Amino acid sequence: MALSRRQFLAAGAAAPFILAARPHRKYRTALIGSGWWGKNILNEAIQAGQSSVVALCDVDAGTLEAAADHVKGLSGESPKTYGDYRELLDKEKPEIVIIATPDHWHALTSIAALKAGAHVFVEKPTGHTVQESRAMLNTAKESGKVVQVGLHRRIGPHHVSAQKFLKEGGAGAIGMVRLFAHYGGGAEKPSPNAPPPDGLNWDLYCGPSALRPFCRKIHPGGWRQFLDFGNGQLGDWGVHWLDQVLMWTDEKFPKRIFSSGGRPVKGPAVLNEKEQTTDAPDHQVAVYEFESFTCTWEHRQFGDNQAEKHQIGAYFYGTKGTLHIGWRDGWTFYPSNGKEKMIHQDSQLQEPDGHNLKLLWADFLASLGGAQAPVASIERAHRSSVLPLLGMISLRTGRSIAWDGEKETIQGDPEASALLRRPYRAPWIYPG
Amino acid sequence: MSPQHRFWTGAALALLLGGSSLSADDWPRWRGPAQNGISAESVWGDAWPAGGPKILWKAEVGVGFSSFAVAAGRVYTIGNASDHDTVFCLDAENGKVLWYHPYPAELGDKFFEGGPTSTPTVDGDRVYAIGRAGDLFCFQASSGKVLWSKQLSKDFGIPVPGWGFGGSPLALGTQLLLNAGEAGLALDKTDGHLLWKSAAAESGYTTPLLLPGDDGLVLFSSGKAYLAVDPRTGKEAWRVKWVTNYGVNAADPIVRDGQMFLSTGYGKGAALFAIGAGEPRVVWQSRVLRTQINPAVQVGGFLYGIDGDAASEPGALQKAQLKCVEFATGVEKWTFPLADVGSVSAADGKLLVLSGDGELLIGPASPEGFAPTSRAKVLRGRCWSVPVLSGGRLFCRNAEGQVLSIDVKKP
Repeated sequence: MALSRRQFLAAGAAAPFILAARPHRKYRTALIGSGWWGKNILNEAIQAGQSSVVALCDVDAGTLEAAADHVKGLSGESPKTYGDYRELLDKEKPEIVIIATPDHWHALTSIAALKAGAHVFVEKPTGHTVQESRAMLNTAKESGKVVQVGLHRRIGPHHVSAQKFLKEGGAGAIGMVRLFAHYGGGAEKPSPNAPPPDGLNWDLYCGPSALRPFCRKIHPGGWRQFLDFGNGQLGDWGVHWLDQVLMWTDEKFPKRIFSSGGRPVKGPAVLNEKEQTTDAPDHQVAVYEFESFTCTWEHRQFGDNQAEKHQIGAYFYGTKGTLHIGWRDGWTFYPSNGKEKMIHQDSQLQEPDGHNLKLLWADFLASLGGAQAPVASIERAHRSSVLPLLGMISLRTGRSIAWDGEKETIQGDPEASALLRRPYRAPWIYPG
Repeated sequence: MSPQHRFWTGAALALLLGGSSLSADDWPRWRGPAQNGISAESVWGDAWPAGGPKILWKAEVGVGFSSFAVAAGRVYTIGNASDHDTVFCLDAENGKVLWYHPYPAELGDKFFEGGPTSTPTVDGDRVYAIGRAGDLFCFQASSGKVLWSKQLSKDFGIPVPGWGFGGSPLALGTQLLLNAGEAGLALDKTDGHLLWKSAAAESGYTTPLLLPGDDGLVLFSSGKAYLAVDPRTGKEAWRVKWVTNYGVNAADPIVRDGQMFLSTGYGKGAALFAIGAGEPRVVWQSRVLRTQINPAVQVGGFLYGIDGDAASEPGALQKAQLKCVEFATGVEKWTFPLADVGSVSAADGKLLVLSGDGELLIGPASPEGFAPTSRAKVLRGRCWSVPVLSGGRLFCRNAEGQVLSIDVKKP
């Protein structure tokens, strides 16, 4: 039914009144982990207009000062700054906590924030090991608070439309999915250890992980390739694409996982009193066996070339053709029948970093009323985050693992099962 | 006028003229004779032939982002290969290596290709060069003989900033000034002995800038501020707090008519300050221009600079924008898309833009808009080093260390 001009004008006139009558609630919002990505999320919180930024936390005083300056410039607020998240939670009683620390800190900070009564927006992957992620999920359920995980590809427009294309049978029956993230690179030389820079609480940075010597290669920003703090490319990139697979399939988990990889190009990992290298694999293949299809992951950090058109993303191989879902290159369907035309949709990302955090934050805010679960809820994100972590267990043990996704146990392999957890450095206690 | 005052005025004058042995088109240091990124030469302004501009010669100098100093027919730059930095002196005519000096240096390739990031400085028959770890050399320009060398952290206890020392040395009077420590470092330029040093905090990445005026102040940057210092004493005159992520106060300030323009990346933005008597005062501040690595240039009443941060993966591109912003007001006049973050300099009323992916664009500097009259892809890979115009040649390089001498003489 088309609106008459009169009705349209009346509707238009009413809109400002409705907005005025419902002033936005402002959530007391805090950020733990105030570096590059943390500020990206905080920008969305500020721009959405429903947060007052009350506190920032970082173990690096320089990062903290830069973040406080950033907030002041954006919103005029002067948030309190903390070097220890426990003190922040205790004193500020935030209603929303954003967590953008390295992965090894996700579980302890998320669980503490939930127990302090806050809703949580935490970066992906949920945990650094499987049972940390499970503990986060359990605590979220007990607390009744909302947890959104930073899997922004769940809501990114070209991902959503690609998923629709797949589910409507656009690519036909899918038998295999191939996930990948390729970059150039070469040999890695050890970097010298150094005293931590002034203002960096290196002990707290390492936290539950082993206290290793400081090296500029780790901080700022280099931790993703150090297995004490992250899980390499599979943990960082792989989780996004494995999440896309779980969005598409009706299955909840794979039954068997095998991974191989290493550092033939970067060279052996080094860690001694003088110097160190990263220790994540420079290439890796992981196979995820589902009931009705097989999914593979592969990454390389060398051999950048033009031989392969797409460097990042997922190929869904179907009877009607191949769908590539990418990053900045959007999605493209390559039909099996050469007479049919390719179908393409551009990405719609926020730059400079090519994400869709604005949509993910809006979805988070909408879910705080309790009417709907957030799109990257802790339940969904837990299932997706477990997959790269299981891939890393197979890589470490050098054999395939049989996964019971209902009980969340590895069958018949005590050594692999032990890697569902990790030892924590005292006084930190493994959650759950 | 006191004798001391006369000395300093004389030193400033010599600085502006670029020293006695220089010809008018020499570019003896980072940002050029007037430390403003602007060349007094004329430059090609028409479309290039189909094959692109004429390449006069090519050279290989190793990985890095050092730009060029050009004086007395010699071109200086630095590159890294096989765990060594090498300072090169090339013949401006043909690119032949006249002399070189290697010293052990880490590549340091976290988040970028690595290698040295500072540009050598020519002062008479001397050349000064500094590596990222603080290895400082004074060479005889004609022979390449090392006259003296220092190691800033070992010899003077200066902390190395996160990305290594990136500012170039400034020769001023009898001093060699370095952006090292919280508010600079002064050495005697004849033998490198310490004159004064500042607090042991991480420096920024700018080059010491002599401020106009009788005070003879020099502007340094730390990781958290821009600081004006009296180089005779090392005493701080004033500071402007300026906090940029990871301490990357890298883009050089632009100072004129009692005003100081600052701009840095990571979303920080830009501001214009009135400087002079008393504490600096903000004239305007906004996020209109965020120059992360290379500074803007100011032509007429307008700033031309590149807004945006580079990608943190070597080889990856990150779209950026060339912007024109009114100096006095901070009002944006236009934007022009670039394939990747690069650099901009100016000559002859034209902008010389090298996009981060190696496309060279030349066109009139105008607040009406940017319409490049000549453009060509000249280099592959990442290009952050500012091209230098001298003697009708434009010297360009990329991250891997390929150097081009391009003929840009006005026909």
